[in-house]
Amino acid sequence: MHENPKAGPDVSRRGFLKGAAIAGVTAVIPSNKLPAAVQSKEDPTLGSFQSPTRPLGKTGLQCSILGMGGFHLSTVGDQKVINNMVAKATDHGINIFDNAWEYLNGLSEERLGVALKGKRDRVILMSSACTHGRKQDLAMRMLEESLVRLQTDHLDVWQIHEVIYHNDPELIYAPDGVLEALTKAKQQGKVRFVGFDGHKFPAIHLEMLNRGYAFDTVQMPLNPLDPNFRSFESNVLPVANQRGIAVLGMKSMGGSGELISKGAYTPSEALSYAMSLPVATTISGMDSTEVLDQNLTILRDFKPLSADQLQRLRDHGKQFDDGRYELYKSTMKYDRDLGRSLHGYPSSAELPV
Amino acid sequence: MSIPLRDFGKTGVQISALGLGGHHLGGARDEKAAIEIVHRAVDGGITFYDNAWEYYRGKTESWLGLGLKGRRDKVFLMTKVCTHGRDASLAMQMLEQSLRRLQTDHLDLWQIHGVVFQNDPELFIRPGGAAEALRKAKEQGKVRFVGFTGHKDPDVHLAMLNTGFPFDSVQMPLNPFDATYFMSFEQKVLPVLNQRGIAPLGMKPISGHGDPVQRGVLSASEALRYAMSLPVACTISGAEELHVIEQNLEIAQNFVPMTAAEMQALRDRCRPYAADGRFELYKASLKFDNPEARLVHDFPLDTAQAEVKDMIKEADDTGHAWPQV
Repeated sequence: MHENPKAGPDVSRRGFLKGAAIAGVTAVIPSNKLPAAVQSKEDPTLGSFQSPTRPLGKTGLQCSILGMGGFHLSTVGDQKVINNMVAKATDHGINIFDNAWEYLNGLSEERLGVALKGKRDRVILMSSACTHGRKQDLAMRMLEESLVRLQTDHLDVWQIHEVIYHNDPELIYAPDGVLEALTKAKQQGKVRFVGFDGHKFPAIHLEMLNRGYAFDTVQMPLNPLDPNFRSFESNVLPVANQRGIAVLGMKSMGGSGELISKGAYTPSEALSYAMSLPVATTISGMDSTEVLDQNLTILRDFKPLSADQLQRLRDHGKQFDDGRYELYKSTMKYDRDLGRSLHGYPSSAELPV
Repeated sequence: MSIPLRDFGKTGVQISALGLGGHHLGGARDEKAAIEIVHRAVDGGITFYDNAWEYYRGKTESWLGLGLKGRRDKVFLMTKVCTHGRDASLAMQMLEQSLRRLQTDHLDLWQIHGVVFQNDPELFIRPGGAAEALRKAKEQGKVRFVGFTGHKDPDVHLAMLNTGFPFDSVQMPLNPFDATYFMSFEQKVLPVLNQRGIAPLGMKPISGHGDPVQRGVLSASEALRYAMSLPVACTISGAEELHVIEQNLEIAQNFVPMTAAEMQALRDRCRPYAADGRFELYKASLKFDNPEARLVHDFPLDTAQAEVKDMIKEADDTGHAWPQV
């Protein structure tokens, strides 16, 4: 394990994420590519529409089947717009909000904290610890920071962020590792439920589950291309379902909208596919009011797809089964530099790719 | 001086434990330098020669053919067919071209090149697919044995084996970085081949371009000895310059297998570098993917991507026009 001396106790230092691999992240769907129907400022037909909910695994909580991703939301920048987006989402029953300690060097949590003021009790608030293999005490300090930024005294779900390297399971399960922080935070009442997320390789997720920790949630990329290439749907989803662990889908449109912008699927097909799987929720990054409106419209019209419809979307995806629109699996593009540096790995700029 | 010989699977044929890779030969200074490398390899005891129809647009097959002139009977000659999912008839045309360039009437081994995509196994085994060419070429006596190669995903290799086609050999990247984690050919594919008596051919013993040696993680000798100590028929290593083949010959001629403890110590040393795939870019990125194969699969090339630029540079060539078949 390579401890990074720079990343020691000074967890709050701004600038640590400088140069992190966020520059390439663009709008989920460029607004000029949106279908005309969703380009209007507001769709009056949403009315009093409320999102359907599902049980969040065995936690006893009910979550909306669409969740709001923290990263894309905070890239909006303008706090007023963020406030309005969160208000609109909660008005329509969206009640699960994802985030991570490291997103935008903490700004992402701060912006969500402001936007949720007065709404905290109505939502399932998530964030993630970004120890990237380091010890429990660091995780606990990150948790305290997350709570301050999010203006709350507890999280509903706290996850281990970006479990994507082949040695992550052994680092996470090591004595004094981040799992001990998960247990301790639960005991102290600072978090209610715990889990992990990652975008890379099903075998790493399975190793995390099979080593035996009692996770409440697990987050993974799920979309109609996934079944054809290193599949989480085929390999991990059934295991989590069988154990009653709540599955949180993500990257329903490829992480940066690749499935849509490259013309493989419509937003409705991609999101409906993900929401029709046996998952608790699908967390979608929305970086503009237009994208939020689009997703709410899809959600309003959503009828779970039949087995045949799901299979047709999978079959359509077979022509893309080289992983070119699932770059988080097929390349190192989505592996963030913070995680890389904390594992002692060269940064993306230093890699010969 | 000689190099240890090993059984080529269940065939009764023996090959040298070190083979000469065909791709690097195309990086030799000129034709004369390439011929010199081949002569040195034959004299040093290497009997196994690798190549592919598409390397440097045919240049490496031609140079190897020149190098083996008068020495053909001393060696076990392999090349690969590059249909990338296309029909058996195209494969047969490629075979004729390979035979002409290599100046021989038969190959000892003919392999399907670059099996890396999820749909490659079904494209191979479909009616009219390359599997039929492998059978036919064997029947016609133009090739003695057949197999396949790929650098990407152990599960794709296993899917190829599960087509039920009777392969004589299977080629894959084997090195101490591969050995440790979940996408391991050593753990997932090698035991299956050993159990079925199919000849395993190791490649990329030094990660494709010697990157970890340049960065001081391990020596060339350690890397090559590790790969040769696995239960494989042959370890294929390329040389663009004479001093590289000299170095490899010396390692192979003095080869003493590593003990299980030595191998484990080397795996442990490489372990911290193995978990992000940085020395196995042929698995972890698109860099080693073959642009020609992508186009044939109707997979696009996004030339704005750094990885795709690298990929195209890798396959770029000077001199030879793209061969017509």
